[in-house]
Amino acid sequence: MFFVASFFTALPLCQAIDIKDHWAFRPVKRPVIIGALNPIDGLIAKKLHANGLVHSKVADRITLVRRLYLIMHGLPPTPEQVQEFIADSAPDAFSRLIEKVLASQRYGERWASHWLDLVRFGETTGFETNRERPNAWHYRDWVIDSLNIDKPYDQFIREQLVGDALGQGIGTGFLVAGPNDIVKGQDPKLGKMQRMNELDDMINATGTTFLGLTTGCARCHDHKFDPISQKDYYSMQAIFAGVSHGDRSLKLSQKIKREIQQKKAEKVRLKESLSRFIPKSGALRKPVSFTYNEEKFPAIKAKIVRFNIDRSNSSQPCIDELEIFSDKDNVALASTGAIATSSGDFIHPFHKLEHINDGLYGNSKSWIAAESTGWIQIQFPKVERIDRIEWARDREGKFSDRLAVKYRIEVALNADEWVQVSSSSDRKPFLKDNQENALYEFSGFPQKEAKKGKMMLSELKVIEKQLVDLQNQNKVYAGNFTQPKATYLLYRGDPDAKREEVSPGAISAFASLNLSRSEPEQQRRLALADWIASPDNPLTSRVLVNRLWQFHFGDGIVGTPSDFGINGMSPTHPKLLDWLSVEFMENDWSIKHIHRLILNSKTWQQSSRPNIEAMKIDASTRLLWRYPIRRLAAEAIRDSVVMMSGVLNLKSGGPGFNGFQVQMENVRHFFPKKSYGPSDWRRMIFMTKVRQEQESVFGVFDCPDASQSVPKRSRSTTPLQALNLLNSTFLMQQAEIFSYRLKRDVGSNTVAQVKHAFELCFNRSPSKSEVHSSSAFIESEGLSQFTRALFNSNEFVFVP
Amino acid sequence: MNSFLNRRNFLKDTGKGLGGIALTSLLARDGLLASNEPIRPNIEPTKPFSARNPHFSPSAKNVIVIFCSGACSQLDTFDYKPDLIKFHGQPMPGGENLKTFQGEQGNLIKSPWNFKPRGQTGKMISDLVPQLGELADELCFIHSLTGKTNTHGPGENFMSTGYTLDGFPSMGAWVTWALGSENEELPSYVAIPDPRGTPQSSVNNWGPGFLPAAFQGTDFNATKPLRNLVRPSGVSAKTDSATRSFLQRLNEKHLEKFPGDTELAARISSYELAARMQLSVPEVSDLSTENSTTMKMYGADDVSNPIKSGFAKNCILARRLLEKGVRFVQLFNGAYQTGGEGVSNWDGHKALQQQYSKHGPVLDQPAAALIRDLKQRGLLDETLVVWCTEFGRMPTFQKGASGRDHNPDGFTAWLAGAGVKSGYSYGATDRFGWKAEQNISSVHDLHATILHLLGLNHERLTFYHNGFERRLTDVHGNVIHDVLS
Repeated sequence: MFFVASFFTALPLCQAIDIKDHWAFRPVKRPVIIGALNPIDGLIAKKLHANGLVHSKVADRITLVRRLYLIMHGLPPTPEQVQEFIADSAPDAFSRLIEKVLASQRYGERWASHWLDLVRFGETTGFETNRERPNAWHYRDWVIDSLNIDKPYDQFIREQLVGDALGQGIGTGFLVAGPNDIVKGQDPKLGKMQRMNELDDMINATGTTFLGLTTGCARCHDHKFDPISQKDYYSMQAIFAGVSHGDRSLKLSQKIKREIQQKKAEKVRLKESLSRFIPKSGALRKPVSFTYNEEKFPAIKAKIVRFNIDRSNSSQPCIDELEIFSDKDNVALASTGAIATSSGDFIHPFHKLEHINDGLYGNSKSWIAAESTGWIQIQFPKVERIDRIEWARDREGKFSDRLAVKYRIEVALNADEWVQVSSSSDRKPFLKDNQENALYEFSGFPQKEAKKGKMMLSELKVIEKQLVDLQNQNKVYAGNFTQPKATYLLYRGDPDAKREEVSPGAISAFASLNLSRSEPEQQRRLALADWIASPDNPLTSRVLVNRLWQFHFGDGIVGTPSDFGINGMSPTHPKLLDWLSVEFMENDWSIKHIHRLILNSKTWQQSSRPNIEAMKIDASTRLLWRYPIRRLAAEAIRDSVVMMSGVLNLKSGGPGFNGFQVQMENVRHFFPKKSYGPSDWRRMIFMTKVRQEQESVFGVFDCPDASQSVPKRSRSTTPLQALNLLNSTFLMQQAEIFSYRLKRDVGSNTVAQVKHAFELCFNRSPSKSEVHSSSAFIESEGLSQFTRALFNSNEFVFVP
Repeated sequence: MNSFLNRRNFLKDTGKGLGGIALTSLLARDGLLASNEPIRPNIEPTKPFSARNPHFSPSAKNVIVIFCSGACSQLDTFDYKPDLIKFHGQPMPGGENLKTFQGEQGNLIKSPWNFKPRGQTGKMISDLVPQLGELADELCFIHSLTGKTNTHGPGENFMSTGYTLDGFPSMGAWVTWALGSENEELPSYVAIPDPRGTPQSSVNNWGPGFLPAAFQGTDFNATKPLRNLVRPSGVSAKTDSATRSFLQRLNEKHLEKFPGDTELAARISSYELAARMQLSVPEVSDLSTENSTTMKMYGADDVSNPIKSGFAKNCILARRLLEKGVRFVQLFNGAYQTGGEGVSNWDGHKALQQQYSKHGPVLDQPAAALIRDLKQRGLLDETLVVWCTEFGRMPTFQKGASGRDHNPDGFTAWLAGAGVKSGYSYGATDRFGWKAEQNISSVHDLHATILHLLGLNHERLTFYHNGFERRLTDVHGNVIHDVLS
């Protein structure tokens, strides 16, 4: 069902367009700029003059320092930082402040969020299940670090496309940062479409992010406007055809390896010390476990083994794999001819009868009974002498439901005479979350000794958790790579309508990558990366400097930041765009260099005050006769609030904190949190990015849902935003904490509280009348109502 | 480059703001635009929800979509197939090697519910939904819908947004972006989740996609109020009001330094609107003013079936919202959250009869009462009712199970109310109800038709995003003129 509207076919084919006809496809050259001014200011002024406008005067120093911190860090400056700058009367004071701000860890934490929006970074799969990707956070940290160390942008690109070849494996998290549908049905066409969609996501992300080109429509037909043929699209698909979603194991650092060794040694030592608390023979076996259970019995001849489940801890029971051993061989495997039958099966693509003996572990390859009790049976092709059975709910340890807690295992030579070989009756009772405890018995020991034992046990648990975390440090959601099979052009994008085979390549109107159909997988991505990250590529540098400009001024020089194609907008200042692009490339693709140029310009430093005459000519401030004020992004508002109250936790990096209460169903459900504590008071960029769902307070402030690349957030103003900032538990708690902070800092004097609060929130002293009205308000309604109002004020949430 | 492209650039380069360009409509009036050029809504930043003109004179002012989540079977409700009864228990021709979502097919199975002729038209409707059946003369069936996917999440996305992928604007977002609302004191677009929870694709069913976030659906229902609507506990009404006045003064003082700045002014207005919503939303959600006849008519008084009475209350809430001029209401029946696979939604894979016996009564009386009530209050003349589901189900039972697998190749939706024929059926599936055969229609066609009824040209209601003029209908869709009255 891939209809193509008839007007596509009526348009001229793309190959007919000469790419030199379009400004963005021409080579970038340093423009000739006349005049002694900073070229940014000169070029902006020229256009202003042509429209009867001029720059506004330079903003006052408080505005400058506040704007600088809010734009570059997403946090206001502290009163001390403001004072320090105001006191510095040297002519280069602001330039030095820029350097200080660029050198801060806070810079990368703010600007990484622009990049993460663009690359549709999320830490869940999206689609209906929206399962978590616990090892995706590494990529976020990697982006933050890359920005902070001012990694050359060409290198930054290469590492995201082919970091596995460059010793920067985390970078390829970019390729798989998008959503993927993990609900795989039986319908073969569905599976093919899902794979096509995954690859489409990678192609689009690459084209959009780095080149500012929309490639997606070439999936079904030649691009309507840009020189991208359908064949080009499938050539790009061949570049990524060997990339699949998933965690990849990277090398553990020496430091972490040493830590693991230490922890392992400690674990052994503790287990030895604890061993005397394990009750001696005659005692009950361990309780059943979710991740591993062993049944040993004297060797017996059997043709059939039946596992009877009499009770599960919740709903229908699940077993991920039933292994039956004859000496060292698992004789239950279907591949050796064993046949599985059951009392009835729960029907689901993850859960099938054949998964019981397919040799694969984990929930997605498991069997679930149709009812809450039932049996599963394995029949061997010949009589076997068996002595051991191993089974689990989920050996991958992700699930803690559906566990067979009461069971009997019987064997038979023929279906009439059953012999029970093992059961749960000699196990300790199943106690939730209390597995290890149940192994040890402290009663009967002297009090002091028992206490010591219990302490060792809790220490052991901590160490085991730490070990798992350490060992998982090398798992990174950065995709996996295998040599792909042939790629074909698909007629109208239909996976069942294969046409000619294509070689890996890029956009043929620009360049040929000279790759063969059998090119090694990594070489494909390397060739693409080299072409994109080349100074000869007319798009790469222009697209990036335009993005930087946009985040400084609200709009780009090109108003369509991810469409530099024929259908995109033209640059308002083409020479400026090219000048910045050349500066960028000639300075080792340094992003901080471009920040310096912009931040040191008069254009950036001018006042934001409106003037009536200029508003008549250019109300939207597109020509930059003033600095355009605008509301802060969600992250900056939240971070600023938490900073004011004095509880901002600046722990940078590592796994994120959860912004939701999550219901761990097959399909995850996300609910607003009911209470908040210190772990929630990290910067919002470290909130685990859940696709689709909006965080209950700040989500409505135009947070993207990470389903698609967002080069520029919408900036909406809605009553729901107002309600959230006025009434949410989060904000009320912060207002309260802020009021404690004010009291702690300056005592109970109302005037002092008002002054301090204004210095913190607005970086300025209150006027006399503000002191008067605020004090009166505090005295009548209380300090935390005052702080609540400040958090809601326009002055607090707008870039000045 | 041809002049068509140049003109597009000219238009875009001139535009700015939430809606894009007012200029376009001027040009359109002067006949300067080609007929398929985008028409952007002219949105005032301080009043994003005020009513705006449609492209042409509309038949319907408001829309209510009743969405049965989980894929409600056409064969057990509205798509009567005598051959399915006749060939009950026999293999389906063409089904031998067919693998649908969950796998292989069993035999053709007739519906466990009898079908009876209903109303003047004698439309055959099953006993699973007898009260909706009584309304047959009001309804306009489309029996030949086809979708693009047989997975729930993408299927719900497709029905609600026109795309199987996540992240595209929902129909309600498109409509309210274009038209605003008749009542600025209520959200212009309300999504009412089922009492049992959210549907499979959850918030993506009412998301804004790349449209301004202001146009996303606001979700609340009769039991779960709008979040953060009420003032915080421990804050008295007097204090709350004093704080808002104080805030207002802070903001006005600040605005003095930025005279004429629309973003600052818009934010001040948003607080005023929020304050009005704090009064109007509880008022519209307060069902205690409904009389007992109404409660009874909807089944909202049915203590024996709390899910039904919960859904009935949502239906009453929907009517109250429409009455107040809310532009777009999306009413969900069925939730994934509290039990997928048919337990609390229409996904009857394994035990269809047992599960649908529970779901039928939850839907039937309340939904039928909603239509009757809209009619008796004269609201059906200006309101379009849409009943839909993400896709249909197979005429066979799944191999080894007593339920039907997913089927996007032929399913039913119906319309009622403003601008559509009543007592009419359009399109048909094959003899067993598997694949659409006559007047095959797509979900895009359904969307195009809904927009048309609202006075919107689906090809010209576009939003420029990442290089595309995006539409609800992608590059597809034809208005189904046959169903228009």
